[in-house]
Amino acid sequence: MTEVACGACGKFELEGVNLYYNGFKALEGIDLRIERCSITALIGPSGCGKSSALRCLNRMNDLIPGARVEGLVSLDGEDVYQRGYDVVELRKRVGMVFQKPNPFPKSVYENVAYGPRLFGIKDKETLDDIVESSLVSAALWDEVKGKLKSSALALSGGQQQRLCIARVLAVQPEVILLDEPCSALDPIATQRIEDLLVELKSRYTIVIVTHNMQQAARVSDYTAFFMIEQQGDPGRVIEYDTTNAIFTNPKDERTERYITGRFG
Amino acid sequence: MSGLEVKTVEEEGLRVEVAAGLCESRDERLERVIRQHIERHKRRAAAADRAFTAATWAVAAVALGILAFIVITIFARGLGTALNPGFLFGKPQAIKEGGGIWPMVVSSFYLAALTVAMVVPVGVGAAVYMSEFAREGRVTRLVRLGADVLSSVPSVVFGIFGMVLFVVYLGLGYSLLAGALTLTLLNLPTVMRTSEEALRAVPVSYREASLALGASRWETVKRVVLPSAAPGITTGAVLAVGRIVGESAAVIYTVGIFVRKIPVSPLQPAAPMAAHIWHTYTEGALVSDWMRIANGEAAFLLLLVLALNLGARLLTRALAKKTGTVKGNE
Repeated sequence: MTEVACGACGKFELEGVNLYYNGFKALEGIDLRIERCSITALIGPSGCGKSSALRCLNRMNDLIPGARVEGLVSLDGEDVYQRGYDVVELRKRVGMVFQKPNPFPKSVYENVAYGPRLFGIKDKETLDDIVESSLVSAALWDEVKGKLKSSALALSGGQQQRLCIARVLAVQPEVILLDEPCSALDPIATQRIEDLLVELKSRYTIVIVTHNMQQAARVSDYTAFFMIEQQGDPGRVIEYDTTNAIFTNPKDERTERYITGRFG
Repeated sequence: MSGLEVKTVEEEGLRVEVAAGLCESRDERLERVIRQHIERHKRRAAAADRAFTAATWAVAAVALGILAFIVITIFARGLGTALNPGFLFGKPQAIKEGGGIWPMVVSSFYLAALTVAMVVPVGVGAAVYMSEFAREGRVTRLVRLGADVLSSVPSVVFGIFGMVLFVVYLGLGYSLLAGALTLTLLNLPTVMRTSEEALRAVPVSYREASLALGASRWETVKRVVLPSAAPGITTGAVLAVGRIVGESAAVIYTVGIFVRKIPVSPLQPAAPMAAHIWHTYTEGALVSDWMRIANGEAAFLLLLVLALNLGARLLTRALAKKTGTVKGNE
């Protein structure tokens, strides 16, 4: 509780988490401590379960019929899978940005105001303020302030993704999950998102799934390397450490082989 | 002389052929064979393409031709009458000639409005359940099977069912309400299925985005999914209106056929156009101009149904543009 300027950030802990899709075991024995006000990157080859692990955190896996989680996933010490836990509240505290920018087919303004409206804010001035400050935080305000009423679908891919981040910021989450947020973007748009994430980590706990190792190295403080031994096996965390340690001094040979680009 | 020349040329050709066969490598031979086949395929494919295009065009032309024939015949016989305001807005006559069809027009719209007011909420509600809430399983299969069976039941059977249940058993009598209830059952499967299609066409990513922001399932449906599906649902509803105003069998047994008053209450009987056309053609000989009346009314009804179909398309496009759900295509 002594972290700098970060009372509101959330801290996740995973202990022995197994994830099943019907009979298929997708994740096994995942242990992770996701630190407050930092960026944690989940890396690994395709199909290694890193996105599935991310979706355990805000219980988006609940939407998949047959998905089942074992073990402990706790947010600030509270088991998020316990009976009677409020999933809607969890998702309000833990925002998510998806791989493909997915703004609603509404105006820029309505996209950002979606969450606040959902929670019953009707006052025009309050909404205006929320929209502006969220767009400012997402480094998008200057580009869209003149076209708040036009369709979000008219924005470029990079702008749409920052809009999705603004939409998440508007509900004041504690944690932001990003599932390969730059994989559909060009390098310039990618860099803007990365700069933004580094800026946001003073106020939010950020977990990012990426298949781009350079991206993990550039933005994250901690890195977890996921892998499956062979087709059909569950994904496991091979190594979890500070990003610096993972990239300069990996302890596991498989991690080293992956980050030096020898497989995956 | 000439025979010798030809032989020489043939010999020459053969010699070259043989020489090529002897000295070309395996790769060269394969390349030559493949190239020959590609050439031949190109010619054949192009010919087949032309033939098939012509055949499908011809079939399409036949379909269009039949439609054109029907439209032209009906319009040639009745459009002049239909577009005459005195006929369209006129009062029907019991025994004199020169009657109009205004009460029938009003009845048709009244019946359509009543039916839509019932079938759209129920159909869309069922569709929302099927696409958003139900887990695929025995229940959804049963509902779909039921809808398919229901939509293949002939409308005259619905008419008799409606007469037994609504007109007689529930004591509604011949009335717009009894007809609307019957037509609700008749149109429920299609409204439900078109709405379900429209809902399923909404990208999963919209739902995910909403749920990830802390919206409940119902909030997601209300704020994101239904608005995005609105164009498709609206099209379904407008097409249903077309089927309702064109329906005769189910209406004959439940609403009425020769009422000449403009209905006020939904509990009154009426004579919607399609039923009135049937009645006028089969038993309308009391007025000497029954043929003119039936033809004019048929032309107007056809015009209306065509307009509704066209309107549904335009409306869908306009709504899709507004919500941005369909980008560019169609």
